[in-house]
Amino acid sequence: MSVLHVVFKVDGAEYALPAADVLQMESFTGATPVPGAPAHVAGLVQVRGRVIPVVDARTRFGLSPGQHTLDSRVVVGQLGDRTVGLLVDSAREVLKLDPAQVRPPPPLVVEGARGFVKAVAQVGPRLVMLIDFPRVIGEETPDGDGKR
Amino acid sequence: MTASVDLADFLPAYLAEAEELLGAANRHLLAVEASVRRGIPLPRAVRELFRALHTIKGLSAMVDVEPIVSIAHWMETSLRHADRAGGRLPESSVEPLMEGLREIEQRVRQLAAGKQASPVPPGLLERLEALEAVALGTAPAKPAPVPLELEATLAARLSAAEREQLTTGAGPGRRAVRLDFVPNAERAARGITINSVRERVAKLGETVKVLPLSGPAAGGGSLTFALLLLTDAPDAALVEAAGGEPATVHALTATAPGPVPAPEPELPPSLVEEEPEEQRRGGGTLRVEVSRLDEALERLAALVVNRSRLTRAVADLTAAGAPTRELVAILQENGRQLRDMRAAIIRLRMVRVGDVLERLPLLVRGLRRSTGKAVRLELAVGDAELDKAVADRLLPALVHLVRNAVDHALESPEERRAAGKPEEGLVRLACDARSSGLLDILIEDDGRGVDARAVAARAGMPVPQTMDALLEVLCRPGFSTRDAATATSGRGMGMDIVRRIIVDQLGGELRMETRPGAGTAFRLRVPLTITLLDALVFECAGLRYAVAVGSVEELIEVDPARLVRSPGGGSGGAVTLVERRGSAVPVLALETLLGRQRPDGRGGPGAKALVVRQRGEPVAFAVDRLLGQQEIVLRPLEDPLVRVPGVAGATDLGDGRPTLVLDLATLGAARNGAASSLAPGSGRERAT
Repeated sequence: MSVLHVVFKVDGAEYALPAADVLQMESFTGATPVPGAPAHVAGLVQVRGRVIPVVDARTRFGLSPGQHTLDSRVVVGQLGDRTVGLLVDSAREVLKLDPAQVRPPPPLVVEGARGFVKAVAQVGPRLVMLIDFPRVIGEETPDGDGKR
Repeated sequence: MTASVDLADFLPAYLAEAEELLGAANRHLLAVEASVRRGIPLPRAVRELFRALHTIKGLSAMVDVEPIVSIAHWMETSLRHADRAGGRLPESSVEPLMEGLREIEQRVRQLAAGKQASPVPPGLLERLEALEAVALGTAPAKPAPVPLELEATLAARLSAAEREQLTTGAGPGRRAVRLDFVPNAERAARGITINSVRERVAKLGETVKVLPLSGPAAGGGSLTFALLLLTDAPDAALVEAAGGEPATVHALTATAPGPVPAPEPELPPSLVEEEPEEQRRGGGTLRVEVSRLDEALERLAALVVNRSRLTRAVADLTAAGAPTRELVAILQENGRQLRDMRAAIIRLRMVRVGDVLERLPLLVRGLRRSTGKAVRLELAVGDAELDKAVADRLLPALVHLVRNAVDHALESPEERRAAGKPEEGLVRLACDARSSGLLDILIEDDGRGVDARAVAARAGMPVPQTMDALLEVLCRPGFSTRDAATATSGRGMGMDIVRRIIVDQLGGELRMETRPGAGTAFRLRVPLTITLLDALVFECAGLRYAVAVGSVEELIEVDPARLVRSPGGGSGGAVTLVERRGSAVPVLALETLLGRQRPDGRGGPGAKALVVRQRGEPVAFAVDRLLGQQEIVLRPLEDPLVRVPGVAGATDLGDGRPTLVLDLATLGAARNGAASSLAPGSGRERAT
């Protein structure tokens, strides 16, 4: 049973999220910075009347900050009752991934990627990394108050 | 002119709504037609159709589209009769109703295309009006109407049922009158609005209809509300209820009050029961999903934002020398209407504190079992009400305080007996809504009290000398008075979170009083609602921010030449001071607190400063530019990623981007870190 995924690019590499977790994709026109928020939070954006935090995938993945272009997208994902955006370089493809195509990531990736990559899918010649969305978004707040 | 301004403001929302309502109306009318063909009455569809038209009429009156108001009115009237006849509609009525809907649709489309709505086509109103007679034929016979002494234009805006209510409702000691209320800015400032007048008048009699009339009014206004009433109150009382002169009272029926035989006894009782249903619905309760109320508030927010834009545009016109007096007056009226609307929606969002706290007795019951303590919970919450958004945030804090009281504060029955107290401990929670939009909450116990020495020892600090200082220590993140985490209190949130909720999130106050051996009381003060507020908007380091007007004590100019720097060298570095009325006030550069740099790289504090009290002492936050004051909708930031101290939430100033709403006092305390310890009075350790 193949599952529909949204594919996006960060720094040339391809990543994917189950389409069921994605609410929508928006073009990026800048975010309102929030003082004191974790470094990987680009800021706030307004999406259809809601104000949501946006996580910068480049910062989160430890990559050099890139230029925001017309291709930049905010992938708006649903995480329980949270709605959080992920800022990526581009997102313009959906793919059906068969479980047979998906393998656990090589140990080196597991170590290097801090658990952000939970599987790797082989799509023809391409390798697409399935990300662990909750982990990428994170819950860190500066004063360590993740509980309510 | 009136029309064009109102239209610009309301048109997009109006068109969307009208379209939706027309769709519903069409659907229901088709259902009605089908049922008429089969000879089966369909009361629900008739009623829905009636409602849709009623709303269309109301909306169209708001944007002053007279042709639609007229058509909808006469359609509504004939449907009201069909409704009263049990949903039965003569087949001949369907075609004129269809025609009416088509004409309304056509006019809505004209408006959407930016054109004027064309006048009502000749003959349509007459055909619709004739339906009323047809429908009346199917209704029970009525007594001959007593003529109403009412201008024809007003009379036309009453339905047959309302006319009838006025003419037949008057009897011995009870008369039908018209009370004219003229709103104006000065009265609104005193709280006299059509809503408050309505409420007061309702106590004096039965309100049949309130008609807004535009045009020159007594006392120089441009709007009059004609309240048509059945009442036994004297004229003077009615005028008083409407805020005194220039309100006026006129009798509506020629029959003088007194022993004139009333037509009432002849009225068949069934007719009374068949009053239109808005009047019957009065007392019921309605369950509404919060999301729908939020949506309404969202729409209102859009209107408020739009109004701000309009205000700016008019200000620009005024600055350019255009004659804008009337525009300004209309804008002011519009502002009042929006405020009234806001109040109305916010009232819808209010929940009873008693309902919010309904799980507390259960919680205490559970604690009684798990702790083995004898506890009595006393709730004295009265009928205070609270915005749902506030209630949702407040509840966890209250639960924590009650749990704390039982778990930590109350002694075991043996200890209590030894101390000469009744075995059963008391936890009391009382609420008191203040007129200023604040709710006072008291949570007290008769337990052992907080031992300042033990607290100090645990925190590794000198013994706090004041209640506030003691509370400060208790509210340190991670602080616990217990050696071991107990099953109930040791986990989850501590007092720091309670304070976060009350002070940072809700913008309230938290105080404590405790007496060793006698008990502890927490006093909370929270705003009844947090959704909308008046804000100052300013620019700092290239971005716009807002702060609640109420939190700002003063706006001052910062003259760089008059700034004084205190000696540095300590851990916090130098502090800049500015002189304000003979005392030195620390100046903090806001962009530094926000971790931002000006795009032009210029240093030094901004040219203006907002003076805010931070733990009782004034602190000036320097910003680059003040942009003005406006009403904003505060959206709290819920996600843990962006729930940071000093940011109360976000708002939309009309550019579609979130603008941060700052809580400067908290921001200063949280972000300034060590530097604040040098600033007089802003240090965390200082006992206030």
